Amino acid sequence: MTIGYECDTRFIAAHHQPVLLIDLAMSRGIDSHQLLRGTGVFYEDVTVGRAHLSPAQFLALISNASRLLDADDSSFLFGQRLLPGHYGEASHALNHACTLFQALERLQRLRALLSPLLTPRVLLDDKRAYLYWADSCGAADQQRFLAEASMTAVVAMCRQLSGERLPWRFHFSHEKPRYVEQYWVHLSEDLTFDSQLTLMIVPREYLHRPWPNASTTAGQVAEQASLAQLASHTWHCSFLDQLYEYLRANIREPLNLERVAQAFGMSPASFKRKLQKHGTHFQEQLDLARKHVALYLYQIKGYGNEEVAAYLRFNDTTNFRRSFKRWTGIVPSGLRQLFG
Amino acid sequence: MKSFLRLHTLPLVGLAVAANLGLQLYLAVGELKGWGEINWMDVAGEGGSAVLALVWLILLLRSRPAGRVTRLLALGLSFIFFSWWMDTLDEFIQLPQLAVWDNWLETAPMPIGLLLLTIGIYHLNLEQRAISQQMSKREKLFREHRLFDKLTPLGAAEYLRQQIQHALIEARQTDQPLSLVAVDLDDFNAINLRYGLDEGDAVLQAIAQLLMLNLRRQDLLCRLAGDRFVAVLPGTGEAQARMIAEELQHAVASLAHRTARHGERVFLRASTAAVMALEDDPEQLLKRLNLGLAKAKQQLPRCA
Repeated sequence: MTIGYECDTRFIAAHHQPVLLIDLAMSRGIDSHQLLRGTGVFYEDVTVGRAHLSPAQFLALISNASRLLDADDSSFLFGQRLLPGHYGEASHALNHACTLFQALERLQRLRALLSPLLTPRVLLDDKRAYLYWADSCGAADQQRFLAEASMTAVVAMCRQLSGERLPWRFHFSHEKPRYVEQYWVHLSEDLTFDSQLTLMIVPREYLHRPWPNASTTAGQVAEQASLAQLASHTWHCSFLDQLYEYLRANIREPLNLERVAQAFGMSPASFKRKLQKHGTHFQEQLDLARKHVALYLYQIKGYGNEEVAAYLRFNDTTNFRRSFKRWTGIVPSGLRQLFG
Repeated sequence: MKSFLRLHTLPLVGLAVAANLGLQLYLAVGELKGWGEINWMDVAGEGGSAVLALVWLILLLRSRPAGRVTRLLALGLSFIFFSWWMDTLDEFIQLPQLAVWDNWLETAPMPIGLLLLTIGIYHLNLEQRAISQQMSKREKLFREHRLFDKLTPLGAAEYLRQQIQHALIEARQTDQPLSLVAVDLDDFNAINLRYGLDEGDAVLQAIAQLLMLNLRRQDLLCRLAGDRFVAVLPGTGEAQARMIAEELQHAVASLAHRTARHGERVFLRASTAAVMALEDDPEQLLKRLNLGLAKAKQQLPRCA
């Protein structure tokens, strides 16, 4: 298989997502040179639409901007303009989504173009729709900024395209910040911090309500065009994203570094180096995938301890409970109705 | 820095000239001491004091607009600096025993400086009271500049929390009711998207002024976050708070805000909520207020 984009792949057009942050900072009187220091691009190149940033460079820009702006609402103001955005066909595809379901599906399918730093994933059960977010390229310190911005983006997009306020509920894996009032105003009152996932939930009945002003055909054409654009890159998501999908698909097989490296057509050493470059290692990624599978089985499938342990091929539940504690910090019994 | 120099040219040039004249005078009359004769302890003490006086002077001039009070304070500090400066020069230059005037140059400016400074501080006090009067609906008893909002001339969320805490204690002691009112613009993001962030900022500033005009003297207005404002209303029951909330809502709806670029009328609407404090802490109170606001928002018509 071809390897997905990495933290140093220069493919994010600077006049797409990054320019929104640049505009925000400059409207607050911040100097463009200071803002772009260490990002490897010049403002002149951004204005003529030539410059491309790698995820790492975009993260450097975010770090500069949040330091220079020094305000609690930067990520939220940035997020409000992120979606549907002005990213050509991919934005058209969102603009012409007929329902929330279609918008979320397109957001997930075109994530490399619409949300290159934070991967959105959609999950449904019979009562609710879940949209959870995962790090695409090793965001480290900027995770919180990205989570705030991305969730605000989805909320603002749904508000704008559907014309109504959806009753979103939010879970954040980070602790309650000092500036929680920003979350109240820009997201909602229904917040849970220190959660297992970075997640937003909406009742299922909102999924298929028709959205006004959408054109089915125009949306389909735009989606096809965006997929063709991605095909020219030879990948449709990030390397970490690809690894996560591979691990989830093969979670019941015996998995180790050597085998997975082979599946990716790489030597274990270079596979290890690639993970290191993204600030992570194999065991961490495997634990993350297993944790997500366990949470899925508990919360959505309603499995009990024995069933989850058996599914993940643990020989006894004691062993499983210990591993689960290591992944999540809590024992399975503390999990009941976590997102219910 | 440039504007600072332009604004305060006269006092700074005057001080430099005076200090230089003093130096010239000493050099003309006295003789330089040898290295061994210098008492470095005195140099450090008196010289350090002179430097500090100069730092005060610069900080003062930088932070204040020109005016009567600034002039008094600056003049006082200049005299104090001059006195210490001459004192320091004394350590390096040996003056003839007969000279008495040197004592005058060193000692006399100090009481004059202190007197001027005292008069300055007295007037500063009057000035501060006048400013506090102007700040009355935005600030109560306690000032912390790190808690100022960056966009509007109001306190931010942290300041609000502290003030609610104080207000709760006071309400309990005086056995008076305390209420909060929240005002949140409807679909404010659409204004940001349509007219740009600058126009959005201008709307928030206008709303801040508007709400302040519509509040009573004892009330306090803060900006919680984004387009949400919270007013603390001491001595106010729930019914009255609701009435005030309604008035604020009407005030926002009848504000004819026009964009800076094309003078286009922006139609604004706000949702409001009012809660009376019961047995809760600031965080719970704010939470109830937010829930009230969320309920009000849910009743808004669906707009395409």
